[in-house]
Amino acid sequence: MSDLDDFKATYFDECSELLNELEEQFQAIEEGERGADRLNAVFRAIHSIKGGAGAFGFTGLVGFAHAFETLLDYVRDGRIELVDEVVALCIRANDIVADFVAAARSGETLPSDYGAEEKARFDALCRGESPDGDENGEPMEEFDIEFTPVMVKLPFAEDEAALTLDAEADAFEEAPLAGTDGHWEIRFIPHTDLYARANDPLLLFRELAALGEIDVKALVADLPALADFEPFGVYCTWEISLSSPTVTEAQIREVFEFVDGDCDIEIAQLAAMPAREAAAPAAAAAPDESTPAADEPAVSFADLAAEITPVAPPKPVAPSLVAKAPSSEGAAEEGDQRKNGVQSIRVDLDKVDRVVNMVGELVITQSMLTQQMDENLRVRYQELVRGLEVLAQTTRGLQDSVMAIRAQPVKSVFSRMPRLMRELAQKTGKKIRLEMIGENTEIDKTIIEQLSDPLTHMIRNSADHGIESPEKRIAAGKPETGVIRLSAEQAGGNILIIVEDDGQGINRERVLQVARDRGVVGPDQQLTEEQVDQLIFAPGFSTAEAISDISGRGVGMDVVLSNIKKIGGSVHVRSVPGKGTRMTLRLPLTLAVLDVMLVKVAASPYVIPLSSIVETIQCSRANFSRVPSGAQVLQVRGEYVQVVDLALRFDTPTQVESDSRFVVLCEAEGGVKVALIVDDIIGQQQVVIKSLEENFERIDGIAGGTILGDGNVALIVDVQGLKSSISHQNAA
Amino acid sequence: MEALNIRDEASDRSATVAQNTLQLIAFSIGEQTYGVEITTVREIRAWNGATPLPNTREFVRGVINLRGTIVPIFDLRARFGDGQTSPTKNHVVVVMSVGDKWVGILVDAVSDILTVSKDDIHAVPEGNSIDTELLTGIVTHESRMVGLIDLHAVVSGAKLDG
Repeated sequence: MSDLDDFKATYFDECSELLNELEEQFQAIEEGERGADRLNAVFRAIHSIKGGAGAFGFTGLVGFAHAFETLLDYVRDGRIELVDEVVALCIRANDIVADFVAAARSGETLPSDYGAEEKARFDALCRGESPDGDENGEPMEEFDIEFTPVMVKLPFAEDEAALTLDAEADAFEEAPLAGTDGHWEIRFIPHTDLYARANDPLLLFRELAALGEIDVKALVADLPALADFEPFGVYCTWEISLSSPTVTEAQIREVFEFVDGDCDIEIAQLAAMPAREAAAPAAAAAPDESTPAADEPAVSFADLAAEITPVAPPKPVAPSLVAKAPSSEGAAEEGDQRKNGVQSIRVDLDKVDRVVNMVGELVITQSMLTQQMDENLRVRYQELVRGLEVLAQTTRGLQDSVMAIRAQPVKSVFSRMPRLMRELAQKTGKKIRLEMIGENTEIDKTIIEQLSDPLTHMIRNSADHGIESPEKRIAAGKPETGVIRLSAEQAGGNILIIVEDDGQGINRERVLQVARDRGVVGPDQQLTEEQVDQLIFAPGFSTAEAISDISGRGVGMDVVLSNIKKIGGSVHVRSVPGKGTRMTLRLPLTLAVLDVMLVKVAASPYVIPLSSIVETIQCSRANFSRVPSGAQVLQVRGEYVQVVDLALRFDTPTQVESDSRFVVLCEAEGGVKVALIVDDIIGQQQVVIKSLEENFERIDGIAGGTILGDGNVALIVDVQGLKSSISHQNAA
Repeated sequence: MEALNIRDEASDRSATVAQNTLQLIAFSIGEQTYGVEITTVREIRAWNGATPLPNTREFVRGVINLRGTIVPIFDLRARFGDGQTSPTKNHVVVVMSVGDKWVGILVDAVSDILTVSKDDIHAVPEGNSIDTELLTGIVTHESRMVGLIDLHAVVSGAKLDG
């Protein structure tokens, strides 16, 4: 991978973070929080995306982002009022920026007029709201020219239009001559840092050229003889005069925003404002200082470029060579802010995983050591015992900390949903509001990554099948706008993600009909309402009468189930006809560690996830009975529960007498209980989940393996798998 | 010694012959000798028990913990249909990589490292389906017959329903 690819990858990483942030900000803005800091945050994010895009030459993105930014700027200034319509346009624009970024990332090309309509609307807005519309509209039109991939023609000193520095100095005194035109004199003195950060003055000048007509002069008086030329030295400063009727100092400053602190910038207005000049001596100092410079060989920018290119233009400099650049007050302030903000580093997930694995091994080794300590040793080596206790504590702390590194707020997935919702609302012509609760709930990163698809499918399903059309809703006496609520919360060792809608609910008759037609359910089989609801997760199942663009092809909900199962979670759906549907995803907090109960079956160790255990009962006290088929059932608290003897199920004959065995009552998906019979219960512990499939294959009824304190492997019982294989047998 | 001889011969003839040799780890099950290519072998360890896997065929002895990874163990004797081995501490597990998976093979003992020429590999005589299924070829070494194990075949069909 080349350096550039590295930079690009970093840029795209940053972009996705920025886009997430934008989505969040717009969410708040949409809900009515229209404070300046929200707008500023949006502005900053768009600006950063644009800046990077410029560096990599994503012209389409730059063009659009620039137009967007201009609109935001107007909004920020109060020139455009932030009415709902503008907010909607901004949100749409945000989606387009995201598309541009995605296209740039994948190397696709979007149609050349992509976003043109929105751009035109920005333009219209900017023009419409400003007092003298035509003039203000101009910079917008000009920018279209600027971002064509052609080199921007800079007017050179020879050009008649551009004033020489001396002439401008004259203009200073003869201020009235300047008329209404704004003439700005900018002195740009880059530091080595500027080049060290891979900035290119040419790009800055191009951006200035977009503001108005510019004349750039390079001052190369300090250029040493070739022999003394220091490759990383900075020998060149520039003077730029800019003529534009509308440009403001803030706009010029903005061009240099990215190099703030890495260069000295002096900006002075030469236009008809002697009073202002007097009031700003600092600014006025610039042209004064530059007067002697005019005697020195002033080379036009193009000439200079031609001259120094073969020598080696100033290049990024090694950090050790960089002298601390005097930074402007603004930059210092910003730096402080950064220090106070949350600091973070980017770490490859692989590296974190390696640490997680090693900590897992450490936990095992530590518990192995503790188990080795019998009473004799405890008495004889008290120091050792104390040391082991400290070790145990530290190991636990370390494990928690490592897991915390992997934990991330679900926000990163949730933030993609508002956009999806907007698109769905548009496509279906329904009115839908998305509410999100608990975005800051933290969950393991791997799980978060696996959540995106299921959530998308679930929300699509709710929008397409759940929420009714506005007319139907009104007829049913519901508010016109449907609500889909997406929430996340922690419940014990699980995270619950709930997608809830106030739509029409699942049409059970139809679901059952389709299921019978397709043979998913046998003709004589009777299902409870809950079981019917659960059918929507069956593969290839769809009740949609017409296949819509959004859903109805029958793939989707089974993807939800399989994806969620894969990460050790479960899905439960509950629906009330006419009132709505609620789908609950129950996910483990982390994939790596599981609280389990250690049991024995035929002398082999097995573990059962604690999260699925309801209670344990001694077999001698359990109330078993037989149903006509001969199968054993357990009566517990007025419920009849299916019994699975693990020794029989796993085909491992046991010698243990049936009365001294134990019942472990477990709850599987959808609240269905199953009673597992084991030989012995050993205790509770935390285990690190290991894959069986990595080196072997999946075994029915086994969810994976784990390594116990003594170094032996124990198998994790897949309660859900056992339960579903029972119903399978019954159905057959 | 063996390796030296072959190399000398090889330099006499052509370089391609040297590339044409195969190094094997040979192990025994009862009186029989089998071999696998040495490059597939990851480690050799003494039998120290395994956690049985439910609902698998009898030649799957279970799984062991190999430095934090779970590795399945296959009983080669049982795989050849001669019944399960009754392993002792003197029995040996040869850990090998098959594709991207690591598996262990339970054998009676590891006997030797052999260098053979690929040209000396004979086809497995037709007749017994277990032989043709599980062996890729037969070589003769010091008048002993060494069966070359087809690892992919050995580890397949481990599940009862599969």
